Amino acid sequence: MEPIIQIRNVTKTFLGKDNQVEALKGISLDIEQGDIYGIIGMSGAGKSTLVRCLNFLEKPTSGTVLIENKDLSALSGKELRQTRTEIAMIFQHFNLLMQRTVLDNVCFPMEIVGRKRADARKRAKELLEIVGLSEKAKSYPAQLSGGQKQRVAIARALANNPKILLCDEATSALDPTTTKSILKLLQQINKDYGITIVIITHEMSVVQEICSHVAIIDGGELAEHGTVEEVFTSPQTAAAKKLVFMVNPQAARMQSKRCVRIVFSENSSFEPVIANMVLECKAPVNILLADTKDINGIAHGQMILQLPEDEKTAAKMIHYLKERKLTVEEVESYVE
Amino acid sequence: MWSDTIMTPMVRLVLEGVAETLYMTLASTLIAYLLGLPMGIALVITAKDGLRPNKVIYKVLDIIVNIVRSVPFLILLILVIPLTRAIVGKIYGSTATIVPLVLAAAPFIARMVESSLMEVDRGVIEAAQSMGAGLWDIIWKVMLAEARTSLIVGATIVLGTVLGYSAMAGIVGGGGLGDIAIQYGYYRYQADIMWVTVILLVLLVQVMQFAGIRLSKKMDKRVR
Repeated sequence: MEPIIQIRNVTKTFLGKDNQVEALKGISLDIEQGDIYGIIGMSGAGKSTLVRCLNFLEKPTSGTVLIENKDLSALSGKELRQTRTEIAMIFQHFNLLMQRTVLDNVCFPMEIVGRKRADARKRAKELLEIVGLSEKAKSYPAQLSGGQKQRVAIARALANNPKILLCDEATSALDPTTTKSILKLLQQINKDYGITIVIITHEMSVVQEICSHVAIIDGGELAEHGTVEEVFTSPQTAAAKKLVFMVNPQAARMQSKRCVRIVFSENSSFEPVIANMVLECKAPVNILLADTKDINGIAHGQMILQLPEDEKTAAKMIHYLKERKLTVEEVESYVE
Repeated sequence: MWSDTIMTPMVRLVLEGVAETLYMTLASTLIAYLLGLPMGIALVITAKDGLRPNKVIYKVLDIIVNIVRSVPFLILLILVIPLTRAIVGKIYGSTATIVPLVLAAAPFIARMVESSLMEVDRGVIEAAQSMGAGLWDIIWKVMLAEARTSLIVGATIVLGTVLGYSAMAGIVGGGGLGDIAIQYGYYRYQADIMWVTVILLVLLVQVMQFAGIRLSKKMDKRVR
């Protein structure tokens, strides 16, 4: 089957007063039906421009975007609006209609496509149930918390049964706990309705949490892409390394001695791997960075350890870790 | 019913003045909105970062609005006398005054509407676009609906301004309270009549202002 989204050599140049900014410099990417695809990059990397090219809120300067094999640039105004009803979008600042109730906000996209009012209200109520906000139907957005607003935005996005959901920094204005619950909801939607989700973010933790694939955008170019596991376990480019390690910016200072980065992906979180290693090798290690979490009894995440100076002990430790199916790599030059 | 002692000819005159002033103010504001609202919308839509940028239309509207706005009302009143005669058939009285009032208020309203609509969050408009909303849906359901409290406050200001203009028209026999103030207070040195009309004008503005602000607050769902 053809990928649901095909991005081909897309460039976007913004004309300033006396300069021009190349926001995108020829990006090609395929996104398959049912993926949760993370697009990550530092701010100013061009990721928001890229996602806006996927529904033509921004028209690419050159290149093509194919949605279900339809070339967006070949569509008439009316056809484009029709296609947009199949590509929903949620935003960092929610962008709800502040003068409408929650229920009427969810009805809004259905009004646009001319759905009957009674029908729309019924569907809106179902959607609010899905996002867990039934009791807020008559409230106004100003009365809701950030997380609740994003839930309303998600309900609104689902109203016309889209095939694709674009999320532009959808969790960047939320606290970590709320972020988690919103990501869970997105994951559920992906699973239940098979909606392809594209997530724009600057946080690796968001990608790690729910994405199946990730693309790293750096300076308007596609630096690296693949499954999250591939990219996270062995980042190839400097941009990717920077983002993977961004979890802790202090990581930059640890290079003086021999360091290894270990990635947990299939270990039982019940096994105290590092502690056992220390006991076995009878030498201490310095944990410089630890960012792991327990997902369904399996440890996920990464650590950076400073190993003892002694070559032999260090080698033994690396061997010990590798034996336990951990990905181990020596880190030296992951900072530009 | 009112006895003749209260309903003296002078009181009757002043009450008629109030009625005429209200008639001129409300009628010309209403007609001026029919012209100014579309102009204001067009200014926002055709602006450089609007939904349908169009340099020519924007520039033409912008210049018309600026020219009319820069002519003092009293001059405009006299300038448009031929037009008033052509439309109404006479050049004095409250109905005749509606013509210059509309001409003066429409560009003012266009600017008020423009600034109200510019306040609407671009993100919300973008969200509507991402849902496939067309231009008219965005104008009606997003821009005008979201800006409604600001539009009402604007209308309140317009009413006050038009009321003031209508009083000014008294100098050329425009009818209403302003006319009475000039006829009796100025030409006949009856200062008491002048004071009564001034106080009534102030009261009218106060009532309009109060009602307008109250209404806009009630319709604003952004804060609670």
